[in-house]
Amino acid sequence: MKIQYLPHTADIRMKIEGSTLEELFMAGVLGMGNILREGFCDKNGPFVLKSKIELMAQDETCLLIDFLSWVLSTSYSEKAIFCEVVIFELTRKKIRVEIHGKQQAQGFDEEIKAVTYHEADVHKNNNGDWETLIIFDI
Amino acid sequence: MKINKTDIHKIEDFLWEIPKAFRPKMRVPARILASEPLLDAIMDDRSLVQLVNVASLPGIKGASLVMPDVHEGYGFPIGGVAATLYPEGAISPGGIGYDINCGVRLLTSNQKIEEIKDKLEGLSKELYAQIPSGMGKGGQIKLSAKEMDEVLFKGAEWAVEKGYGVKEDLDFMESKGRLENADPSMVSDMAKKRGTDQLGTIGSGNHFVEVDYVEEIYEETIAEAYGLSKGQVVVLIHTGSRGLGHQVATDNIRRIMSAMPKYGIEVPDRELACVPFNSEEGQHYFKAMCAAANYAWCNREVISWEARTAWRNIFGPAIEPLKLMYDVAHNITKVETHLVDGKQAQVIVHRKGATRAFGPGFEELPESYKLLGQPVIIPGSMGTCSYVLAGAARSNELTFGSCCHGAGRRLSRTAAKKQVNAPVLKENLKEKGIYVEAGSFKGLAEEAPIAYKDVNIVVETVIDSGIAKKVAKLKPVVVVKG
Repeated sequence: MKIQYLPHTADIRMKIEGSTLEELFMAGVLGMGNILREGFCDKNGPFVLKSKIELMAQDETCLLIDFLSWVLSTSYSEKAIFCEVVIFELTRKKIRVEIHGKQQAQGFDEEIKAVTYHEADVHKNNNGDWETLIIFDI
Repeated sequence: MKINKTDIHKIEDFLWEIPKAFRPKMRVPARILASEPLLDAIMDDRSLVQLVNVASLPGIKGASLVMPDVHEGYGFPIGGVAATLYPEGAISPGGIGYDINCGVRLLTSNQKIEEIKDKLEGLSKELYAQIPSGMGKGGQIKLSAKEMDEVLFKGAEWAVEKGYGVKEDLDFMESKGRLENADPSMVSDMAKKRGTDQLGTIGSGNHFVEVDYVEEIYEETIAEAYGLSKGQVVVLIHTGSRGLGHQVATDNIRRIMSAMPKYGIEVPDRELACVPFNSEEGQHYFKAMCAAANYAWCNREVISWEARTAWRNIFGPAIEPLKLMYDVAHNITKVETHLVDGKQAQVIVHRKGATRAFGPGFEELPESYKLLGQPVIIPGSMGTCSYVLAGAARSNELTFGSCCHGAGRRLSRTAAKKQVNAPVLKENLKEKGIYVEAGSFKGLAEEAPIAYKDVNIVVETVIDSGIAKKVAKLKPVVVVKG
């Protein structure tokens, strides 16, 4: 998987890639966790806090954004950062998943107001990998 | 889609138009309130593409508009205004933004800057101690489920009833700090959970509490009525509805996006998701948005209480309390009456990064302001200056009674971090007499003055276009950021 942070005037633009749709969703969670606290997901395991959800959406783009929005809301309500994903089921319109994270008593580095649909477009690139841009409202 | 300068027609010195014929799906022209140099700068990002997209909203009237502080957002540009015909025109959560009722208020003191210069550093530390700021910091108030519903219903009145506010403040807030259409039952449990401990907190990003002094007065009569005088110390508070508002927006964009096919609506950007205002989904969002807006007014009232506590702790119990000059929202939608196609009509005015700026004669204003126009508060960046303006009648002709909301970002956060050494910036500001307390150096670098447009140019454009009058210029001396 590949995660890049690209320039944006006011917000954060993240580009994620994965060889499978599963990997793309994992990259989204990891990339967002590392925005909430820089490098947190790279070095703070084990991630013992767990939360499960099943979500449906009209297509894979909405599914990814809705999923990341739920992860973000759970981060705020649990005061935790989530870094790992166990996917039980993933189709273009449905995900059944468990996320793993860790409480973060010191607070976060960045307040992400929302995961937006703007510029999001889950598709296969020329290399056959899944990719999309995601704009986080800061 | 690419927009060239040749696609943009000059209407007046400070008003430009992309005609409706520019793209087939545009229902109205797109208009830009800017001087020519500002227009050239605006063309550097995707603001105008987003403005053109907004012009395709169902039921939009007049024009889709941007103010001179516009910058690229997501879906709608930040600094945008769009009015759709009531009651069937579109309501779009993206046209308000995720931080519902993000806004700014100004409190006045009876002290002059010369009298308190030696206490500024202590004041900065006390404000930082009293007002929780930064990401994930909870406030002193933990709301029960019943109290949460009361806050969402009553807005700033709740803070006054519970002793966290001052009754006299209520008259000096846009909509008196309470939108009557609020319905707490339209707000999700997750949103309420996120808001449980966030009253009285400013959060992070570009939110702040600032102590300024009035450096210059431009309109003596209006300034006197607003209670402003040269050298006077004032407090600016900039924040919104925190996580609760963010969640209300997230919940409803998702709900509205799913409902769009039912109404045959297609939009060029998913963040423009919209439904008819009078639809079930439209009313659900509107009532939840009103509730979140009430939370924001309550939040700014509680923060004022914290600032007043800090004031007493530094200057003693006998000091005259800080008085609210005005509180304005700059991310909100309201049903208002405006001139549409030559007739007075009710429209749903979306303001995203734009401030209401009604001119003289507006009934809602307190008696002392009624003949002068609504106060408009324009925060600059730390280290530069802010302005108090008065709304003018021309705003109703040109911008659905709206004005700019700040300086507007110029640099990305990444670019600002690369260019700014935050500890050095803090020291440099201190040498200039500006004491900064920030949750992190990273946040400080992202919000450095160089990241923003020149607020003076933005304000001059607004003044020259006639939509507001310049009343006073404020210089910062203390900045508390998350």
